[in-house]
Amino acid sequence: MKYMFKYATQRILLMLMTLLIISFMCFVLIRMLPPAPLEPGDPHTAVIEARRAAMGYNKPYLVQFGIFLRNIFTKWDWGISDKMYFGREVAAVFAEKLPASMIVNVYSIVLSIPIGIALGIWAALKKNTMTDHLISTLTMVVISVPSFVYAFLIQYFLSHKLGWFPFLMKGGTDFFTWEMFVSMLPPVMALSFGVIAGFTRGTRAELTEVLTSEFMLLARTKGLTKAQATIRHALKNCMVIIIPSIFGEFIGILSGSLIIEKIFGVPGVGSLYITSINGPDYPMFMMLTVFYTAIGLLSGIVVDISYGFIDPRIRMGSRK
Amino acid sequence: MKNALRLVAVLLLACMCVSVLAACGKSNNGTTKGDEPGPSSGVYVPYDPNKSYTYKDAVVQLSSNWNPHTYQTSDESYPVDFITAGLYSFVFNDALHPVEGKDPYSGYAIVPEMAASLPVDVTTEIRAQYPKFNIPESATEGYAYTIDLNPNATWENGEKITADDYVWSMQQLLTPKYLNYRATDYFAGALCIANAENYYYQGTTAYKENSTAGAYSVEDLVKNADGVYCTPDGNKMYIAIGYGLDNWLGGNSLYAYVSHYGEGYFGNLENFATLVAMCDDNGLVPLTDETNALLSSVTTSNPAWGETDADLFNYYIESVEYAPDFSADNIGVFKSGEYQITVVLGKSLTGFNLLYNLSGNWIVYRPYYENSWTYQEGAEGEEGIWTTNYCTSLETTMSYGPYKMTQFQTDKSMRFEKNENWYGYTDGKHVFVDPVDGNTYSMYQTTAIDTQVVAEASTRKLMFLSGQLMGYGLQAEDFDAYRGSEYCYATPGSTIYFFIFNGYKAAIDEREAAADFDTTKYDLQTMTLTSFRKAVAVTYDKDLFASTISPARSGAFGLIGDAYIYDPATGARYRDTDQAKLALCEFYSVDPADFGGDLDKAVDSITGYDPEKAKELYNEAFEEALKAGFITSADGEHADQELVIEYCSSAPSDFITKTLDYLNEKLAEVTNGTAWEGKIKFEESAPYGNNWSNMIKSGMSDTVLGGWNGSLMDPFGLTDLYTNPSYQYDAKWFNATAVVKTMEIEGEEITLNLKQWSDALNGATVKDADGKEYCFGEGIVDVEVRLNILAMIEAEVLSTYNYIPMLLDGGMSLLSKQVFYVVEEYNAVLGRGGITYMRYNYDDVAWAAYVEENGGQIAY
Repeated sequence: MKYMFKYATQRILLMLMTLLIISFMCFVLIRMLPPAPLEPGDPHTAVIEARRAAMGYNKPYLVQFGIFLRNIFTKWDWGISDKMYFGREVAAVFAEKLPASMIVNVYSIVLSIPIGIALGIWAALKKNTMTDHLISTLTMVVISVPSFVYAFLIQYFLSHKLGWFPFLMKGGTDFFTWEMFVSMLPPVMALSFGVIAGFTRGTRAELTEVLTSEFMLLARTKGLTKAQATIRHALKNCMVIIIPSIFGEFIGILSGSLIIEKIFGVPGVGSLYITSINGPDYPMFMMLTVFYTAIGLLSGIVVDISYGFIDPRIRMGSRK
Repeated sequence: MKNALRLVAVLLLACMCVSVLAACGKSNNGTTKGDEPGPSSGVYVPYDPNKSYTYKDAVVQLSSNWNPHTYQTSDESYPVDFITAGLYSFVFNDALHPVEGKDPYSGYAIVPEMAASLPVDVTTEIRAQYPKFNIPESATEGYAYTIDLNPNATWENGEKITADDYVWSMQQLLTPKYLNYRATDYFAGALCIANAENYYYQGTTAYKENSTAGAYSVEDLVKNADGVYCTPDGNKMYIAIGYGLDNWLGGNSLYAYVSHYGEGYFGNLENFATLVAMCDDNGLVPLTDETNALLSSVTTSNPAWGETDADLFNYYIESVEYAPDFSADNIGVFKSGEYQITVVLGKSLTGFNLLYNLSGNWIVYRPYYENSWTYQEGAEGEEGIWTTNYCTSLETTMSYGPYKMTQFQTDKSMRFEKNENWYGYTDGKHVFVDPVDGNTYSMYQTTAIDTQVVAEASTRKLMFLSGQLMGYGLQAEDFDAYRGSEYCYATPGSTIYFFIFNGYKAAIDEREAAADFDTTKYDLQTMTLTSFRKAVAVTYDKDLFASTISPARSGAFGLIGDAYIYDPATGARYRDTDQAKLALCEFYSVDPADFGGDLDKAVDSITGYDPEKAKELYNEAFEEALKAGFITSADGEHADQELVIEYCSSAPSDFITKTLDYLNEKLAEVTNGTAWEGKIKFEESAPYGNNWSNMIKSGMSDTVLGGWNGSLMDPFGLTDLYTNPSYQYDAKWFNATAVVKTMEIEGEEITLNLKQWSDALNGATVKDADGKEYCFGEGIVDVEVRLNILAMIEAEVLSTYNYIPMLLDGGMSLLSKQVFYVVEEYNAVLGRGGITYMRYNYDDVAWAAYVEENGGQIAY
């Protein structure tokens, strides 16, 4: 446990350093982009230039980065959007838009992980039968088709032809009403197909391998039934691979989906990153960079540490 | 009995026929008469207040900032039309607002809106009373107006809007502390509020590019005792060395160019080093005879750069120093009564243009506005910056227009509902006479506007067909299915797209001289031959080109689009004038006499496509190119070299691919059997991004489909784009000052160069060779004279074949059966009436039932 704590501390310190370096690199790179050009002779150019100068954009990058850090550490001020959401605090805009992305992704994961794992187990147990071939073929097809194709198919058949669902996610923040839930089903479905296929394929591959292991033979010879051996031994071993994937999916909850959110009108954070680069909206971009980098790095640590809990054979930070 | 039965049968049949015919006869709105209440003719028809009529709109990008002081794009200003009102507004000319000489709904009238009456000119009084506004001594009108305000105007919460709101809001808009984006709109354009610029820039030094400001040459300037040149107003002039020139160098500095290209394009780099050493912190060098000579030696001595001393003025910068501590009391908007403001202008503005420029508004709701500002600290030694969140959310928005915002969700949706405190619903003035039934209706039948973000066109289409949207802008793939629909409306655009054709011989020679260019296999120089350019100009059927690559657009034949209005008071369009038609006939060699003198028929016959003539011209170009040594021919009949015309691409796109495929296909057809058979093709360049225009201007790329547009009310202003080197794409190979034209004006033969004609047409005073001054600006000469000059310049520029008109911008959209326009014809100012005139065939409940009846899918 002591080693684990030491390992975790080291990783967190390394994470902070990495976060700082990545943030600085992104900070410099985004500011190297020229501002969106105006027409030659546009009288507003002077205003834009004056605002940029007042914001310190003409200062050396290190000075600008210093101001950025100063504002975060002294006032928790991530800045005010100067392009996409003029005048609004970027953190407030992000906080306003995050729930929609999160809830759609949570529904998608809650729907797709059990289905994906169940189909994977079924295919593995029925290896080399028609059921396995059918599931595997469908899985490959679904993985190969981009999610926006499902999105348009869902809109065309389920929303337009059958009228079962609205075209767009409902507006407002009443995320737990029936009406909202129904309106979220099309994006949830479009997001889920790929995830289901991914988990099906992963589970099947891993379980198939485990089921043919020698320890499974030993378990059966000890007198366990096939079901007992599969649940107690095979599935547990196969989770070493699957659980980190589940973590990965949950981390993805925070990021949203650019295409699906666009198609279904989900007022989430999916397109924030790309539009903040195109803007360019420096404060928004930097807040997103720091947030997602931190989440990404943190999730790496969590996943690594989780191995130790899932599989006792794996020990983090222990001496050889 | 049998006959009686027959008679009954015949009568029944007749009744059925009549019924069927009656049912087939649709009203103007595309619905049967039975769908609408049938008001008796000529009466006022109030809308049923108990019914709801919701206009369901879709946008790709939702506005996030509709603050009148800070919004930047047209997307952002989307709510402005609904929640604000201008001092004056446009309405169709109907029986209540007749315009002499115009049929109802063929023009427009301007009526007071937030103002109570038309402005009263008080120039003489204000000049005498307030010298601080610097109204010229000679001015007797056009500089100062009193405007009575509508005393019934209120904010959505019922608070009165008074003169104080206007004055205070203008001061906030212009205060230098806030650096509001829209501030310059009130002094840098036609509407120039007196002292606004001095207040906004107080205590600062502004640097203006000479090419877009005064365009002074050295001869126009005054030399100070220290040898530094100044403008006649006393502003110091500089040479921009390390200072980026937006207009002349696309935002780059001369230093960047010289550092990058060096001796390949510039001369005397030692002199340039001397200039660099003299630069101040801003990269500027004072303009003196000595520094000007140094600049000239750098930019004019190398033919590759291709500039002359006449271009030097483009590198000059005018510095304007503004006095500090300039009081807001000096701004030319002040209170002259509880409901009256006086507006004083720095530049004269009268008539239509004055009212047009006052059709917007700048007022803000003080309690919200004052609380909306956040201060961000600046870097050490720098002032910080103020940023406002006024009008960025529901809580920070206060309406004073026909609608108020009732819901807003970032990047998702906004909703507007009728503002019950808006005076227009009760003043009896916001009514119109329907052009079909003659009845009088209230404006703004729409009770609510639901706007949501629908990013994908395919989703918008499905939603529209499901009855969930009021309109759908057709995409290329929809044209075959819907362009014939009676619910399809075409909207003309103002932009003409033309091929800009590289004629910059020096640059082409340079490219051919490059080591990797094999002149035995390839040729570029032939492109500069007029015969070749003429051949290309008649190779393509413009309308076919448009319908193939961009069906919403149409073929273009001139440089000025169909939508431009030369007389704002009547809405008369330039392209409808005889002068414009004759210019086209002249360029396309069409003789109106062949059409019995009917100019319309002559113009209608122009397609821009003449394959036989093109073949002749290609062969002619071959002979000329051979003679000039541009190409060789082994058999004496065919060119040995291939002519690859580089299409300048900013980024790859389907549009460019389709364009090039079409161009090459038709080119192959027309050159078949000529000396150039299989030897000419268009090829896409590497992506140049934002640098594409520089590549074209410098002759480093050969052609692109580019376009210009300008104010729809001022076609005359467009001439500057083709004669002013600051804007010209072809400035390096077409010098408008070298083209001299003589015209007879009011009995006098006047000879000026093309640039002078353009300048004079746009209000500048120019001198001919004898020193005689001329100006043909608005209001100075008869409009017919101005049209003659405009048509002459258009024909002259076309005859260079540097610009080959191809496409006239436009769009097509479907309109929901739930609503209809009161007028079919598109009006350049009012469109088809918008929300103001929108009428409904079905209220929301009836429409839902109709959609249900049709299985949720409406056919168009």
